[in-house]
Amino acid sequence: MAETHDNQGAGAPGGFAPPPVFFERMQRLQTAVACGTPDRVPLSLVMDLFAANIMGVSYPDFVSSVDVAGATMLGAMEKLGDVDSIQFPTYAPDVLGMLWLAPMKVPGRDLPEHSQWQMDEQVRIQREDYDKILEMGWSAWFGQYVGMYLGAAAAAGQALMEAGPRWTMEYMKKGYVIFSPLTVDHPFEHIAGGRTVKEFTLDLFQIPDKVQAVLDVIMAEKREQTRHFLRAVGQPGLGYWVGSWRTAPEFLSPRLWNRFVWPYMKELVEIVAEEGGTPVLHYDANWDREIERLKDLPARRCVLELDGKTDIFRAKKILAGHMCILGDVHPAMLTLGTVADVKAYCDRLLDEVGPDGFIMAMGCAIPPDAKFENVKAMVDSVHR
Amino acid sequence: MTTSPLAQAVGDLEEDKAIVLVADKLAKGETALDILEELQAGMNIVGTRFEEGEYFLSELIYSADIFKKAGLPLQEELKNSVQSSYGTLVLGTVKNDIHDFGKDIVATVMSSNGIKVIDLGVNVEHQAFVDAIKESGATLVGMSCLLTTVFDDMKDAIAALKAAGLRDQVTVLIGGGPVDQATADYVGADYYCKTAQDGVIAAKKVLGVN
Repeated sequence: MAETHDNQGAGAPGGFAPPPVFFERMQRLQTAVACGTPDRVPLSLVMDLFAANIMGVSYPDFVSSVDVAGATMLGAMEKLGDVDSIQFPTYAPDVLGMLWLAPMKVPGRDLPEHSQWQMDEQVRIQREDYDKILEMGWSAWFGQYVGMYLGAAAAAGQALMEAGPRWTMEYMKKGYVIFSPLTVDHPFEHIAGGRTVKEFTLDLFQIPDKVQAVLDVIMAEKREQTRHFLRAVGQPGLGYWVGSWRTAPEFLSPRLWNRFVWPYMKELVEIVAEEGGTPVLHYDANWDREIERLKDLPARRCVLELDGKTDIFRAKKILAGHMCILGDVHPAMLTLGTVADVKAYCDRLLDEVGPDGFIMAMGCAIPPDAKFENVKAMVDSVHR
Repeated sequence: MTTSPLAQAVGDLEEDKAIVLVADKLAKGETALDILEELQAGMNIVGTRFEEGEYFLSELIYSADIFKKAGLPLQEELKNSVQSSYGTLVLGTVKNDIHDFGKDIVATVMSSNGIKVIDLGVNVEHQAFVDAIKESGATLVGMSCLLTTVFDDMKDAIAALKAAGLRDQVTVLIGGGPVDQATADYVGADYYCKTAQDGVIAAKKVLGVN
């Protein structure tokens, strides 16, 4: 199974000329990624159910059709004003099952209509599965696992691969850049999701050699699949999430992190960069401890995307000139804060993290219940 | 004060050694309550190392598992002992949120620090918190969430405690991915706990445990 199975299809087929504003925005983003100073700080958003809320679309309709999702998100972009980019053009939360090897519960199907989608995390990978992976290889084992648990996730992945390029083109027609529509997943995230964090953590202490052997088997296949995938997509500069959720340093001691997380993370980032992509380090949770380590990644090629838990101001001091930073208006501020709170925080971001090598954004994703005026304040902040 | 070999083994995450030492102590006729105290002293070492940045969540999870396994042979005797916990915490992920990871970690870490946990699970109705407090006499309530969309459910659950006349009787601790101090202020909680260990520290403070 390819690791690049998450959000959306890649490119926009040719055959039309995007409006001039598209190129302005693209230039702005590329300058920021290269740690330069654009004409103004660019914006890049991640949103799903927030778009449904502000466009008056029901959650069940949004999550069950990639076309409804695409149209809704595009409508939200227009409603928000002058936004340079969105990270992916449409969405289907079921696809997250392919990352964390756990089915999703979605509104209207598994949850009440106005609920946020959530992961159904249970112990589905047993310790015996490690032996099976070592014996069968990752792809063969994963194919069986998908058959057992991830039918909806696989279908969502297919739908997104089909709809992604189509919707990318629709955004381009209106001048929006699709910034990072694809993902390259860390082997640890797969196993930690299917095994649950608690059980997987115990495995790291109790059967470390076997866990490492499994991660190595997965990585051996990912190494090749990732290169082939990027070559097939063939769009230099396109962003690929190399994300971190359960692999955050906040959760693991250095001894474990140095063995089970960083070598794989570093290699995946390097592969994406070598193949011409832009690694987008979508790092949730607190990365303070390991920010220095990011200086080992290719200079002026990656984007560090923070969610409000890492000290972004300190990160800037350490990574200035080496890595573009994207973020990080905290979800709780967008939900509970005031316009004045958001404005003050964005001003600080612009002053201390910008204007060079910085992309203004929410932390992680705009929460469904964010206040429109707060998100608008974040969007407008770059025009001060 | 010297640290006992059993406490040290738990603190150093030496699983096999801790299990053997408990068996030895039982064989020598030491009481389950005394042994439990040593295990809890080991968890204090873990807590200190966590606060000092030597240990992380991974070590909290593993130490709690060691505590549970090593303490298994004590359970029968402890059932009959009068006082084996410092206090009681009613814990749950609030209504409309089914995430259990953070809540489960808090449950194991609290338990292994001498706090009895009544785990109500996920998607907990507001009234269930009220009922569990009335039934158990708990003085601590822990509420968790991973979604900003359920902040109002957390607020309503705390309001339900107030409506039931229980608010002054309990201390409310909250935590979870998107939660911060502003959230605690918004929902009317007493403590925002950034980590599970923060929860232990707050709980012990409230219960007057050194």
